[in-house]
Order: sequence, then C-alpha cells, then structure tokens
Amino acid sequence: MPLVQVLPNTASTAAPGYTYVVDTGFDPSKAAFNPKDRKRVSHRPGGRRGENELSARQQGVIARRIADLNRDNDPKQVIAIPSNAKSIPAKTQNTRRILAYQRQIKHWLDEEDAMLQQAAQAPTNRPAAGHTLRRQSTFSRGTTMPPTPAEMTPVPTAAPEPTSSSVRLTADSKTEQLLSVDDILPPPLNQAELEALLAAPPLSYAASHAAAPTPDGPPQRRFCDNCGYWGKIKCLKCGARVCGLECKNAHEATRCLKWA
Amino acid sequence: MAPKSKKAPATIADKTLVVDNGAYTTKAGIVVASGEPTYDNCHVFQNCIARSTRDRRTYIASELDSCKDFGGLAFRRPVEKGFIVNWESQKAIWEHELIGSAKGGPRCDPRETNLLLTEKPNCPRELQKNCDEIVFELFEFAAYYRCVGPTMNAHHPSPHSSSTVPQECVLVVDTSYSDTTILPVYSGRLIQSAVRRLTVGGKLLTNYLKELCSLRHYNMMEETYLLNEIKEAVSLVALSEQQFASDLERTWKGRLGDRKPLDPSIVVDYKLPDYEQLIHGYARPHDPEKVRKGRAAVNHPREDILTLGNERFAVPELLFNPGDIGIQEVGLPKAIMESLNALPPMLKAGMLTNIVVVGGNALIPGFMGRLESELRALVPSQYVLGISRAEDPIKHTWLGAACLASQPQLLKEVLVTKAEYDELGSTLVARRFAGER
Ligand SMILES: [Zn+2]
Ligand SMILES: [Zn+2]
Repeated sequence: MPLVQVLPNTASTAAPGYTYVVDTGFDPSKAAFNPKDRKRVSHRPGGRRGENELSARQQGVIARRIADLNRDNDPKQVIAIPSNAKSIPAKTQNTRRILAYQRQIKHWLDEEDAMLQQAAQAPTNRPAAGHTLRRQSTFSRGTTMPPTPAEMTPVPTAAPEPTSSSVRLTADSKTEQLLSVDDILPPPLNQAELEALLAAPPLSYAASHAAAPTPDGPPQRRFCDNCGYWGKIKCLKCGARVCGLECKNAHEATRCLKWA
Repeated sequence: MAPKSKKAPATIADKTLVVDNGAYTTKAGIVVASGEPTYDNCHVFQNCIARSTRDRRTYIASELDSCKDFGGLAFRRPVEKGFIVNWESQKAIWEHELIGSAKGGPRCDPRETNLLLTEKPNCPRELQKNCDEIVFELFEFAAYYRCVGPTMNAHHPSPHSSSTVPQECVLVVDTSYSDTTILPVYSGRLIQSAVRRLTVGGKLLTNYLKELCSLRHYNMMEETYLLNEIKEAVSLVALSEQQFASDLERTWKGRLGDRKPLDPSIVVDYKLPDYEQLIHGYARPHDPEKVRKGRAAVNHPREDILTLGNERFAVPELLFNPGDIGIQEVGLPKAIMESLNALPPMLKAGMLTNIVVVGGNALIPGFMGRLESELRALVPSQYVLGISRAEDPIKHTWLGAACLASQPQLLKEVLVTKAEYDELGSTLVARRFAGER
C-alpha cells in the first residue's frame, strides 16, 4: 500500500514548511514490532506530484493544525485586566509603549528573523561588525542544512596547547576506568576551542529547532483519523488514514473534507 | 554564570527575588544572602488571568485556587512560547503575586530587592529589551540579573563535591509547558550553539488530547482546564515502540461483528466533574456495565464518563515521535544526541554522565524509562550514560537559581544595579547579560 511521507523543504520560514514524496509499501504495525526489518523509503524530490502526494492545500492544513495545537492565546478572546488602585504607573515613554503592545509571539519572531536576514545581507553596515557577522552565521543555520559537528565547533585558531593547560573533565571514576580500559579517551579540550565555544552567540529561535528525521530513518507512522489505531486504509477522497470500514464511515461523516 | 563584569556594584541588597517565569506556572520566592533555600521557599502560581463566563468572575493567578467552577474558563497568558510578550497582563500578575498580598506570595518591595529572572533560551532581543526596561523603569528593582532558566540547574550543590562553584558539565533537558529544550552547560555557562528545541511541550499535549476527545467523545474544545487535569491524571509513556504497538492492540475496539473487549488494565473511565458535587474528576479502570448504568441515571444522579484508551499513551508519545502528527522534528532522544554531537568529544563524554531532566512532562509515568532506554541505544558503548530526573522537576530550576542568589560573591558578579542601568542604557545591559564585554 502506498504511503506518503512528509519531508521538510528548504524554505526558511518560522512556520514549518512541507514537501511530500511518495513512499513505497509499508505496514507500520509490522515495522513497530520489527524495527530493523524496514523497507527503504524511495523518494523523488521534485517532479510531478504523484497520486499519493499531498496537495499544497493538504500541507497547509497540517501546518495550520500544528500551529493551532501550539497556540498560547486565543486572539478572539478578550479578557480585561481588573482595575487595581495600587497598580504602579508607567512613568517613562518606554514603559508606556511596552505596556500597550498587544502583539502575539509570532510578530516578535518574524521581526527577529527579518532583522537577522537584513544583517546577513548587509554585513558591513555597522561598526559592531563582529556582532553582525555572528548574527549572520547564526542565521545561516536556519536556512541551510543542519550543521555538521565541524561547523558547530569552532576550529581553534591557536596551536594546540600543552596538556597542562588543557581542560580536564572531572569525570567520575567509572568514566575514567571505562575510558582507559577501552583506550579511547577523547582528545583533551583545547582552551581556545573551549573559549570560542562558550563565546558563540545564541541561535535564533527558528534555528534552535531539532532537525527533521533523515530520509533513511523509519517512515512516518500513520494512524486512523477516527480512532487512533493503525491507519491501514487510505481514504480516496482526502488521503487521510482509517483502520477499517467502520471508521471510514465515521471519518466521511465528520472530518473527511477537512483534510482535502 | 556570566563572566566577571568590570563594574561590579560595591554593595547589593541582601534580599533577592528569584522568579522562574513560565508560560503555565511561575515559580517565585525571596532568597536572603548566605541563606540555604529549599523547595519550600518557592511560591508556585498559574501565570494567567482567567475569566469565567459562568460566574462572570475574573481570576488573577493564584486566585484560581479558590475557583469552584472551571467550566468554559478562558485564559489570558502573558507568556507565549516561553517568552513574556504581554506586559500589561504580566504586570498585573506580578503586582498581585509578587508585590501584593497574594497568599503565600513574597510581598516584596522592588526598590529594596534584587531580581533574578529566568527566560527561555533563544529569546528575541527586542523582547529581552522590553523586559529589562520594565524591570528597571517601571518596577525599579534595586538590581537585576536576567538569565537562561535551565542553566541555573548547574548551581545545585554537586553530588560529587562540596564546593560552591557551578558543576562543570550538566546537560539540562527542560520538558515544560511551552516546548522541550536541551541545553549543555559548562561551568555554569550555556553552550549556545548546541541548544536544541522540540516543538512538543505540555501545552501541545493538552491541546492534542482536547482535539482527540472532542472528535471521539464530547465537544470539549472550550475545556482547556479540564483537559489539562485529565492529561495529568491519565497520561503514560509506553516503555518502547514495541510496547506502544502492543498497547495499541490492547486498546483497539476490533472490527464490526468481531468486537474485542477493552483491556481494563489500560483503558480507564474518567468521571467528569459537574462543578456542583464534583469539582475535580478522577479516573478508574474501565467497566462498560458501570458506564451504562451511570448514563441511565436510575435512582442516582447521571454520571458523565469519558473512556480513554490509546489517548493515554498516544498523546505523550509525541515527545518521542513528533512525526506522528506531522511535526518535522526528530524525537527527544535523537534531539539530545544532535545537541551533544555539536560538542567536542571530551565535552560530549562529560555531558553524557550528567543529564538532568526538569519540567512538568518529566512527571508522566514511563517518561524517564523510555528516555533512558532509547538514549542508551543511541549512545556509543564507550560513553557512560548518567541521567536523572530532578527531585521536584517543576521547582528545580527555581531552586538552582536560588542557590546562585544565596551566594553574595557570585551574585555580585552578575547583577546590574539600577544606577548602572540608568548610566548604560538597555542595549549595554542586554550585552552584559549575554556575556559580552
Ligand atoms: Zn479506526
Ligand atoms: Zn477522507
């Protein structure tokens, strides 16, 4: 039975974006019992959309659902603050402005992303060049591939220092014993390397998210849209999964077109 | 701990208000210089303003403790995704809980008190600036330090030594309401480039359960408070993916004409509150006969029962398989490895021996066992894995920060006084908190 798998696209938006590729047959219940006996995902990046791929509209539905599940406040709901005689008055213009903001988090994250993008495009417009450049490198993590360990670990500029000045970990005796037995003690930490690591600026919020699963990992598990059991049957109208005829009928009576 | 600043204040107030300001609850308490803070010094309150359409009352934070009818309660939360975005409501809550006469609150006078305030990692800079300006220009705290909350867990006394310096290597996993973050901390300093975040947190789990129950049972979309209570009462994490698959079988109804009995050792009946006789519901093992009788309401009040099967474990499963609802992120164990792989091998080895889990989701039964066994399978055999849940995962970050606040020599290095703020301005103060000189 064909299965669709969701893969991330490379667009750099704060909200997750999605592209979909066709997967060949896969029974999630079998894979769960035999995790090693899984079939490889065959995927076609680009090209015409196959019959099992989700439409842009379906991708949008999934993204909106996740955003809904992750929402903190309902913008339709207005709850006034009860008046309080002892309330501290805002004396400065700054504080009056800040207290008046009714923006949601999305505004601030989008603004931060826009600022980083601007800084990346114009790296020499400020005297605090180091600051801007670091921001640029921060941003690049969000737009390109997940970093390799080599990218994330600054290469020490100084020559390796003698062992006496390198940092030793106070690992407990168990660690030392095991490490020495196996003779695989990691190389000692170089002081310059450590300082560079500790001085690295924060990632942007968008760039801090964990990577998407790799395509060679287990495919996304699919569940019945109605009851949550394994989704073995695909609804031909909308592509959602159901477990059997009974749930298919319930699905068609309730949520079917929601996912179309 | 931030690096030594050039301008440490000469004298500082001996009282520090420590505030771990979460999206769901805020943890706060006064710490005195050279004191020995404990969990008991921590006042926990819901960081929200709630409005009931039934009794037409508005509840500020801990006033919710006296609420008797949580039906259709609407919430206004100043913190979104872990960051303070709405200062109008946050100010009202702080005035009520931290300065005012809230029961159990610290009742502090900001002008005579230092503030140690936590934030989530990767906070937008504009929001940090807003926060600093409100703290000094509106509340006028005597001195202030803003820091990434989970890093404070390095300040707990080390089990291996009696020294007061921060633990050398701690990998903090903070699985809280807004999201789940992974933070390698070296000698009290956060390794920013290796911080990783998962979208899934307690809020998403509650909303997901709300969606599932509304589809399968009753429309409960306006009952966030109730669904959060149900989630806390019934959730469990399957021990492995194999266990997940077999639990899914045990909770399956079977096919038409071939019904399977629901396994009462995993399926529960949750008795819903009516907010008259019963304010808080409770779960009991599934009994179809009892459900039928309760519904019939002969010679007794009607019982409303919510029968929960795979919802119990499929909801928290999102922490380990975010892809189950299409979130394009690896699960928590792989995200921890992603963070560690951004470190030099020596640090990776050190962090692996000291993983500390904090945040409310760590309390879900089965969570720690699943996390540890999946991590063990991912960690190369030459590394030693040491992982533990904080004794009180909700108050632990607060207590770590309180440990820092109780040590005058450490606190002095990181605080910025009101006079310094007036001289430097918010941009330079933000740089100092970021560890830049
Ligand atoms: Zn079904
Ligand atoms: Zn359908």
